[in-house]
Amino acid sequence: MKWKEKDAAMYLAEKEYVDTAVIPLMPVTAGKDMQDVVKSGEFIRYFTEYLERQYAGRVYLFPAFTYIKTKQVPEEQLKHWQELLREEGFNHFLFITSDASWRRTSADSFGELFWIPAFSVENMEVQELAKTMEQQVQQLVPLMMDMWQSEEK
Amino acid sequence: MSEKNHRVSRRQFLTYTLTGVGGFMAAGMLAPMVRMALDPALEASGGAEFVSVGLSEDDLSEEPQRVDFNVEIVDGWYTSEQSRSAWVFLYEGEILALSPTCTHLGCTVNFGTNEEYPDQFFCPCHFGRFERDGTNIPGTPPTRPLDVYDVEVRDGMIYLGQINQRG
Repeated sequence: MKWKEKDAAMYLAEKEYVDTAVIPLMPVTAGKDMQDVVKSGEFIRYFTEYLERQYAGRVYLFPAFTYIKTKQVPEEQLKHWQELLREEGFNHFLFITSDASWRRTSADSFGELFWIPAFSVENMEVQELAKTMEQQVQQLVPLMMDMWQSEEK
Repeated sequence: MSEKNHRVSRRQFLTYTLTGVGGFMAAGMLAPMVRMALDPALEASGGAEFVSVGLSEDDLSEEPQRVDFNVEIVDGWYTSEQSRSAWVFLYEGEILALSPTCTHLGCTVNFGTNEEYPDQFFCPCHFGRFERDGTNIPGTPPTRPLDVYDVEVRDGMIYLGQINQRG
């Protein structure tokens, strides 16, 4: 489900089925690094949108957790998001980013941190983009299945 | 020749001419209006166009295969291309094209990915299952069969149209 009114209504009606929050972690900057940061952001956006399409019934794709790119990423604030969502019934948290700074944080302790190196998707046709994203998302599937199965046991 | 021999008097000629020209003008004005009024009725039903999926009839077998194709979507004020998928195969001699969208909450289903049920469509989200023909299996979350695409064969190639709900 996406950040749309229609999906929110559906979520409220089917809450018990939607237990996974997907949150893209997206740095923002201006100046000389901007192009790189935008490239990564675009990649993460397509990636998470594709993921949402495959698992729309169990996954809620939140708006990106957006922050200014510095050495210190705001993990406390992300934890607030996670705590709020946990209180509201989400059980699994998937943080998706290509910002390597998150790998040195505790984000992996209160959710699953999935770090993936981004590449440019600028010149891809729709079909090619879908194929590429499918391949990329495949890397995440085992992690997600593990996450879901650990609960059923 | 005297004026009396004219079959058409000057007055009549003018009347005919003006009526004729007037008639054309009126017709010219009315035609678009009539067309506008009738237009919705003339529009092809369904609206969705058939799109080639790049498969020929000979490529099909009983084994469902996934095809990806693009459709144009008008979303609000802009048109974009969107990729769609379908599971296409022969079922009891007919071409069946199923939408991969789970009828429970919209995840994407795959064929034969659950080892225990290799002959069924399987939804990874809440373990919904469907028979080969798309019928939902009672006891799993989905409450209606997978949707089907309209199928057309043109020159041996498979074209898919709009998606229809069943059940």
